[in-house]
Amino acid sequence: MRGNGTNMTKISAKNVNVFYGSKQALFDVSLDIMDKEVTALIGPSGCGKSTFLRCLNRMNDVIDICKVEGSIKMDELELNSRKLDVVRLRENVGMVFQKPNPFPKTIYENVSYGPTIHGMAQSKSELDQIVEMSLKKAALWEEVKDRLDEIGTGLSGGQQQRLCIARAISVSPEVILMDEPCSALDPIATAQIEELIDDLKKEHTIVIVTHSMSQAARVSQKTGFFHLGKLIEFGDTEKIFKNPDNQQTQDYITGRFG
Amino acid sequence: MNEAKRKLLNKRYRAEANFKLFGQIAIGLALLFLAVFMYKIFSKGYTAFQKTWIVTEVHYDKELMLIETDNPSLEDLENADYYDIAYKAMTRLDPSLPEEDDRQLIQMVAFTYEQEVKNHLLKNPSLLGKIVPIRLTASDDLDQVHKGNYPRDIPEEDRRVNDYQLKIYDMLNERGDILSKFNLSFFTNPDSREAELAGIASSFMGTVFSILVCLAFSFPIAVLAAIYLEEFAPKNKFTDFIEVNINNLAAVPSIVFGLLGLGVLLAVFNLPRSTPLVGGITLSLMTLPTIIIAARASLKAVPPSIREAALAMGASNMQTTMHHTVPLSMPGTLSGTIIGLAQALGETAPLILIGMVAFVNTIPGTPVDPAASLPVQIYIWSESAERGFVEKVSACIMVLLGFLILMNLAAQIIRHKFERKWN
Repeated sequence: MRGNGTNMTKISAKNVNVFYGSKQALFDVSLDIMDKEVTALIGPSGCGKSTFLRCLNRMNDVIDICKVEGSIKMDELELNSRKLDVVRLRENVGMVFQKPNPFPKTIYENVSYGPTIHGMAQSKSELDQIVEMSLKKAALWEEVKDRLDEIGTGLSGGQQQRLCIARAISVSPEVILMDEPCSALDPIATAQIEELIDDLKKEHTIVIVTHSMSQAARVSQKTGFFHLGKLIEFGDTEKIFKNPDNQQTQDYITGRFG
Repeated sequence: MNEAKRKLLNKRYRAEANFKLFGQIAIGLALLFLAVFMYKIFSKGYTAFQKTWIVTEVHYDKELMLIETDNPSLEDLENADYYDIAYKAMTRLDPSLPEEDDRQLIQMVAFTYEQEVKNHLLKNPSLLGKIVPIRLTASDDLDQVHKGNYPRDIPEEDRRVNDYQLKIYDMLNERGDILSKFNLSFFTNPDSREAELAGIASSFMGTVFSILVCLAFSFPIAVLAAIYLEEFAPKNKFTDFIEVNINNLAAVPSIVFGLLGLGVLLAVFNLPRSTPLVGGITLSLMTLPTIIIAARASLKAVPPSIREAALAMGASNMQTTMHHTVPLSMPGTLSGTIIGLAQALGETAPLILIGMVAFVNTIPGTPVDPAASLPVQIYIWSESAERGFVEKVSACIMVLLGFLILMNLAAQIIRHKFERKWN
């Protein structure tokens, strides 16, 4: 799959260690995420790929016992710093979760929530526009335009996940993190989301954690393989899947373990 | 299948059948007790909703009423003398009775009969000078005789209704001059020493005011405490200690809270004794832990994915809590609140300690007027000797139960209507 990246580094992680209490979950992870590209993180369950993803928007803060060491820079901004304003960061780094988690509110309210709390719209019509744009970008507009005041949780699983994507892009984040976004969806809904990811990378940098190696191969330009908290191999997706340097990577992608 | 295995299988089936049977017996017993309890209350209490009147005639005689003007105003009627005409209205039931025994007839109606004669005229001033039929509230003893609650076959000297009065009663009853109709005054009258006049208005209002005060004090404090503890407080030894204490508070006997109300609210803060204000605050001490526990449970039940979604959108902790978590937890919190209030509704002991057991024959208009409450009213009446109060006790229990059922129903409806199924 061709990349359209700008060949600029968006996020640069150096020697990231993460601890849950006394248990270390990530060991010395260093990788560069390129601007306007899709970076996939793969690996068996419990390998630390989601933990790394959650470092990028500081969602690990929610867990009291979690401690992050090392440096993660996004455009010269140090993310792993106490002084960082996480509200501003999360405005710039959106996230889509494993299980679709729309707010139990209307479709409109789901999408308008971010712009409202960040004061992005001056008027109702401007807000309407943002909602429409976001839903169109998430390829959901045609399906829901006549029922924006229905409850978001009443949609199908795939529609809910696209609603969550619309919610994430409503504040025009530079980076979108996706934590196994298709694991709760059927193949058709998965295909729709993958198509969407391909579109979104024109404007956003995307980091996606996935269990499905074929998905990583289909949607990403760069792939990182995690195992037992270590980044085993990181590089161009094509190379990782066709000709990996590391034997463990080779074994994993050919299905010998994991 | 071999023999041993078949035996084991049969044993397992038998165990399940037995378990089911015991469960059904347990439920059957519970229902039986409930049915007996309800039957006792209803069979004893339903007569309290009927009131007995004696119909007689009254002559609104201007001369006897000491009215001197030809065209008396309402004020003149207000100030007129009704003693003689009311007395005569009763004695005309048996003109043959010697004058010194008139008392026996007067005893057959409530002591307010003079007032009733007066009120009848004030409502219809055109009756002045005419002889009209009037109904007077029967005395509680006669009321009980009419309802068949009073044995007639015991010796006369042990009876509060003597043979002569029974004879007059039978005569009136045959003529159709004993009326039995819905007892509105049970709901509109305050408490009284006379069973035929006693009503639940003062205790009902006292209960309503107490519950409102209790809600106003406990709900905001409890919800804020629950939100803080669940969403903001750091998890450490101190918050653990607070949590344990809240749970312990829920198990403290209610009479202890009554002592607290007596010692602090009355003795230190000098709040007015016997009032719903003090009663409500005392009850709110009891409902606080109940609401806190319910609110925390329903906050906990909001799935973390909703919090994560809001946080990931860049909402602050406060925004996440106020926009998402708290609204989603409200149905559970509200139904917990109603359950807590329903508990407070039935409390007697703490209210007795803060003086809400006093005899109150006025209807309270504000939370700082002296009042009783429904459960305390039940307690007061159950101590009264008159037979007329027996049915009142049961009737008051019915009203209290009705109130409780309504509140629990409201809690159920809220829970069902707003309950969310998390997928």
